[in-house]
Amino acid sequence: METKFKIQDLNLFYGDFQALHNITLDLYENKVTALIGPSGCGKSTFLRTLNRMNDLIDNVKITGKILLDGRKDIYEKMDVIGLRTRVGMVFQKPNPFPMSIYDNVAYGPRCQGLKDKKKLDEIVEEALRGAALWDEVKDKLNKSGMSLSGGQQQRLCIARAIAMAPEVILMDEPTSALDPIATQKVEQLMGKLKEKYTIIIVTHSMQQAARISDKTAFFLMGEVIEFGDTDKIFTNPDKKETEDYITGRFG
Amino acid sequence: MQKRRISDYLMTALIWLSATATASILLIIVGFIFSNGWRLISPTFLTREANDTLRIVNFESESMVTAEIMGDLLVVEGIGLTLERDETYGIKVNHVAADAPGRHALDNAGEIFPIRRGQVLEGINEERIHGGTTLDEISTMFDNHSTFTFRIRQLGGGIFPMLISTLMLIFTTLLIATPLGVLAAIYMVEYAKQGRIVNMIRFAIEILAGLPSVVHGLFGMLFFSRILGLGMSVLSGALTLTVLLLPIMIRSTEESLKTVPNSYREASLGLGANKIQTIRKIILPSALPGITVGIILSIGRIVGESAALLFTLGTFARIPVNPATGNLSIFEAGATLTLRAFIEVQEFGNIEMASAIGIVILVIVFTLNLCSKLMTKKFGK
Repeated sequence: METKFKIQDLNLFYGDFQALHNITLDLYENKVTALIGPSGCGKSTFLRTLNRMNDLIDNVKITGKILLDGRKDIYEKMDVIGLRTRVGMVFQKPNPFPMSIYDNVAYGPRCQGLKDKKKLDEIVEEALRGAALWDEVKDKLNKSGMSLSGGQQQRLCIARAIAMAPEVILMDEPTSALDPIATQKVEQLMGKLKEKYTIIIVTHSMQQAARISDKTAFFLMGEVIEFGDTDKIFTNPDKKETEDYITGRFG
Repeated sequence: MQKRRISDYLMTALIWLSATATASILLIIVGFIFSNGWRLISPTFLTREANDTLRIVNFESESMVTAEIMGDLLVVEGIGLTLERDETYGIKVNHVAADAPGRHALDNAGEIFPIRRGQVLEGINEERIHGGTTLDEISTMFDNHSTFTFRIRQLGGGIFPMLISTLMLIFTTLLIATPLGVLAAIYMVEYAKQGRIVNMIRFAIEILAGLPSVVHGLFGMLFFSRILGLGMSVLSGALTLTVLLLPIMIRSTEESLKTVPNSYREASLGLGANKIQTIRKIILPSALPGITVGIILSIGRIVGESAALLFTLGTFARIPVNPATGNLSIFEAGATLTLRAFIEVQEFGNIEMASAIGIVILVIVFTLNLCSKLMTKKFGK
């Protein structure tokens, strides 16, 4: 198992408030890693440090190291745009741009300066196929992305992310705004996606984490309480807090 | 129980009364303007000059000239001219034939000043024509002549110069104020760190928006007209209006930028777009309806403004042309419709003219409002 992200002693502060405490974690390539924990435990904050989305917020201070491919410090050695083309993100609420389906998917490559129409066509088709959306939208690529259903919109956002040919896809509760059938589709998609990409997913649903992930990290109060194989975490956790949480005693 | 009923009735009555009062005041104003001004409205009202033009023009005839009276008309053969009697003006040009030499008449400065229908004829050669001159007398003036000198009065009373000035002012102002306002708003929303400084800028903008426009006018007169030496000109007026409109522009753009969901920004940045790309491709298109409405509101404000323009644009009923070149120039003075309506009443007591201009302004404002309504409706979905 190759290490994709190596996180060492990561601390994060919002002003005076410390949201993450000494996080040390290895995230593996071509695996689905689930981040679970109660609300406000820092799992989304942690996810957003991985592609530096926290840069957008004022007064955020970060100490420690996050190494991509186990060697490059993403906060010191990489420019943020290069990082985000390698580490894509899918958000909690489907947020397609108010433009056509095609333009949505082509947005990232175009921002990188790709203008060749044929190449773009290829990328768009491949990305939509990759997100299991092609068959549903191939006849209406010029329609607005907003006209799709919620589940389709979220898969469009996934297509938009994989059009960048990233190495990692970060997912911040990607199914929390979807109905069960759309959720099932997105979950099936994730199983397929991990063959090509490293997936890190924040989820509130423990069933979902159990279903789709290979590794699970349990967050509590800004700390990683336990990290390991999903099977082990859900059947035989080492820590009492983990057991209490997954058995539903709190959270 | 009983008491409550009475107060309810009172309240309902008050509401109806206020609504009726408001509606009738509006109706009365519009009715007043229309009843006073409608007589001046004609197809040529928009295209005529404001003031009369008096010229002495010369032309020659190559064939025999004979004048013949036909009822109220005097047909002058040989120069292809038909004249008519007019109750108010005396003798007016009724028709000019296509091949008439008068179409190429030259004035004393050697420039072509064509004889046209509607002009008033005040003299032929050495003889003057006045209200009492009969067609008979006039017909004798053409006898034994082959070269003619006409004293021609081109009637004014139109608003063409004000229309041109207003359009030039709108165009120039928007050209300066829109990019300035939009970019400033982008800075405030997308770049500036929200805190003391931005709040101070915002406070300053609020103050600026609350200033009476005559203060802007005085500032414009001192700074743009005097210190920058622009004098009374379209440019000076446009710059003054820019100062006046910036708060509106910034605020409406800011509001529409704020309604662009943060998730769009995150998604765009998450896809490796930089800040400028995000602003250009995602944020500005989403904010465009708000910006457009801001522009339309600004045009309404420009059309309606008077105090700020009194000392900066001027109140001259002339097309802003450079006298040397004859081209439109933003360095020349003029007057907007509103200013002219004000001057017509203040200097000449001409309520009728002011009301006629008022009708034109009403139509413009109504159209603009309709546009902004349609705009919001179309983008509102």
